[in-house]
Amino acid sequence: MGRFIVRRLLHGLVLLFMVATVVFVLGRLTGNPVDLMLPEDATAEDRTRLIKSLGLDGPMHTQFLVFIGNALQGDLGTSIRMRQPAVDLFFSRLPNTLVIIPWAILLAMVVGIPLGVVAALNRGNMLDRGAGTIAVLGIATPNFWLGIVLIFVFSVELGWLPSGRMGGPEHYVLPVITLGTFLTAGFMRLTRSSMLDVLESEFVKLARIKGLSETVVIWKHCLRNAMIPLLTLWGVFVGNLITGAIVTETVFAWPGVGRLTYEAVIYRDFPLLQAVIILKSILILSINLLVDILYAYVDPRIRLS
Amino acid sequence: MVFRSRVLAPAMTACAALLATSPVAAQEPKGTLVFAVDSLAAQTLDPILEQRPGNAVYQAAMYDSLVGFNIERGGIGPGVAESWTIADDGLAWTFKLRAGQKWHNGDPLTAHDVKFSLERVMSPASQAAAAASLRRSIKSIEVVDDLTVRVNTNGTQIGLPASLSRAVAPEGSIMPKAYIEKVGDEEFRKKPIGSGPWKFVRNVPGDRIEFEAVDHAHWRGRPKFKNLHVLLVPEEATRVAMARTGEAGIAAITPETIEGVVKAGLEVLTVPGTTAPVFQFWGTWREGSKDSPLAKKRVRQALSLALDRKQIIQHVMAGKAAMPRPFSTFSFTDSLSVDRWKTWSEENFRYDPELAKKILAEEGYPNGFELKFANTALPGTQFMVAVGTAMVDMWTKIGIKVTVKHYEWGAFSPLVRGDQPHLTGWASMYRTVGRPDAPWRYNAAFSPDSGERLFGDKDNCGEVCTKFVELYSGVINERDPKKRTELNDAMVEHVANQWMSIPIIEGMGYYAINAKKVGQFAAIAGRHELGDVFERVPHPDQSPWKK
Repeated sequence: MGRFIVRRLLHGLVLLFMVATVVFVLGRLTGNPVDLMLPEDATAEDRTRLIKSLGLDGPMHTQFLVFIGNALQGDLGTSIRMRQPAVDLFFSRLPNTLVIIPWAILLAMVVGIPLGVVAALNRGNMLDRGAGTIAVLGIATPNFWLGIVLIFVFSVELGWLPSGRMGGPEHYVLPVITLGTFLTAGFMRLTRSSMLDVLESEFVKLARIKGLSETVVIWKHCLRNAMIPLLTLWGVFVGNLITGAIVTETVFAWPGVGRLTYEAVIYRDFPLLQAVIILKSILILSINLLVDILYAYVDPRIRLS
Repeated sequence: MVFRSRVLAPAMTACAALLATSPVAAQEPKGTLVFAVDSLAAQTLDPILEQRPGNAVYQAAMYDSLVGFNIERGGIGPGVAESWTIADDGLAWTFKLRAGQKWHNGDPLTAHDVKFSLERVMSPASQAAAAASLRRSIKSIEVVDDLTVRVNTNGTQIGLPASLSRAVAPEGSIMPKAYIEKVGDEEFRKKPIGSGPWKFVRNVPGDRIEFEAVDHAHWRGRPKFKNLHVLLVPEEATRVAMARTGEAGIAAITPETIEGVVKAGLEVLTVPGTTAPVFQFWGTWREGSKDSPLAKKRVRQALSLALDRKQIIQHVMAGKAAMPRPFSTFSFTDSLSVDRWKTWSEENFRYDPELAKKILAEEGYPNGFELKFANTALPGTQFMVAVGTAMVDMWTKIGIKVTVKHYEWGAFSPLVRGDQPHLTGWASMYRTVGRPDAPWRYNAAFSPDSGERLFGDKDNCGEVCTKFVELYSGVINERDPKKRTELNDAMVEHVANQWMSIPIIEGMGYYAINAKKVGQFAAIAGRHELGDVFERVPHPDQSPWKK
């Protein structure tokens, strides 16, 4: 188990280095933030001074080496736009994102898993097709569009809920639905296929032969076993939620790390963009590592291989 | 020589008298004014860390500027300083501050604060865009007495007061010397105080900034609302939804949304003269371009005549734009015969495709020619791309074969630097913004040592370029207002007749207004942002300000 964890950690570090490299290079290919910061009448001298003050004057490889050296010491740079340490900005916004993710997951579990079970139990009939349609729509509907439609219906037309921004419980409803819809559809599809596999298993037949009630067979024995693949997907989906929150947070004016990423891109705030993506990558890799460990724990085949 | 607004001073006195006696003046500020905006820029309350847009959107609410606005006309007017004079030798400006101003902690605002603020803006820690420019212009700053400050300049700096006005730039923001020295920069950024009509309450990064009305009279006017919340809402559809539901009283919008906003029952506030998209021709003076059709000014004029600007205004800008004036001039431009140029523009910016075709034929292009056109939009004016696309259609109608390349601004901007090999021989979209001082923009576009250098560079400054340098130099060194206006007119005329950078329309700033939440008010001409207007925004049941 120890070797397994060490191997996973090393994989994570290599991935992290690759992410840092790609982000560093791509960020600079999109233009220079100085062009957005200076007015139209700025002189060449103004430009040179600003470039120097932002640390953008050296060759790219030198900038990269400085960046990696500082990153190893926990310094991911200072936001060009906000003049604050990028790491501090990320962690000041992270709680705002993390506060909606559990609700989106809860929504997905409460709606997606039962729907998946019902679809599997009614394979091929109208219920299954209906659930399948809901799942396809959930996966195919862009967050951006869904968010706008929800605002239009529930805020503008019905006046039931606020249009956006952080606030009391009523402010969470639309962002959580927007963020959780994709996840709900994913949970539903996976639960259905996993349940179909489990329903064919020998131990299910044995349970039925032993005279256990159908409710116990389905919701206790089958669902428990069908949950194992969901564990893996859960890790992937939580990662998706953290990264995918960019759109939801922008639409709903939610001041989380998704919005911070959006702002870093719009303003070409290289240090902030690098920091946000690297820190998100660390988060996602950590979650995946945790899921891998849990998966190896519950399924010895993984551990032994 | 004293520069003082002839219009504003009596108007302000009248307003003050009116406010003092009207029932509105007796009313205490109440309620919350909520403004939803697409960007809070750096979202810092330290003026030296913010650029112009952020300063104008939210910092302006709590800080006053050394030189302010001419509220009625647009352009510069009294601010913290009520008057300013230039020395006889032209090497110093003396600013006389208005008496009785105070900081939000009760301390008096004095000339020491002004000296401290200008020096802080010019310090190495400053991120102000014009810090380097001010360092070049300002030699030293002296406090003459508590209400008088003298700024000694390197050479004659006729435009210095304008560059310290918020109508132009944020660098004139006045900060509290004693407070900053006492608490330090970091604490000041957390708990800033200013001298404006709104005092700081809370800054929630990525979400909002909250202010509260000061509890005393202020020369900019006492706020009608008790609280001001400036919300960061990046998505336009959400901002409009918030205005519709009343979650925001005012929401920043773009021209593309105006039609929907009107249909939804909201009012649209337009701010005149905030920007003017232009199309311009790059490097026509370079060796490789001299045989290009674009090197002929009559051909360039023909391209202007081919534009149906009224159609663009009606269909691209939803009717909410205006016919342009000559390059970088507006109704509020200082030292300019604005009426003369309005008449000139009506005649010269007309739509006349037949004349355009005739000119092309006379210049040797009866079947048109191939035009390479770079379509782009500067930050904040995305509608420029749609304007550029409409122009291409109009040029095609007179026989021009247009090759269009679309650029994101981040990709276009670097092309302007160096020898401009990728732009030479091309026409492109560009922009001027609504500032009252025309010479600064003329310098940036046409001087041989400027970035754009549309008339030539230092080594290739021909007749047109040399003439421009002579006129520009005359304008910026002339201290007599009448002669300065004459020189400014001559410079504008010289540039206008070259058809090198041609205005397309005069754009405006746009806001969706929920009339149930806020009363009628107007913005300041040329000032897209509302940071200097919030205190004048009335409640729906109160008298409108400048209906």
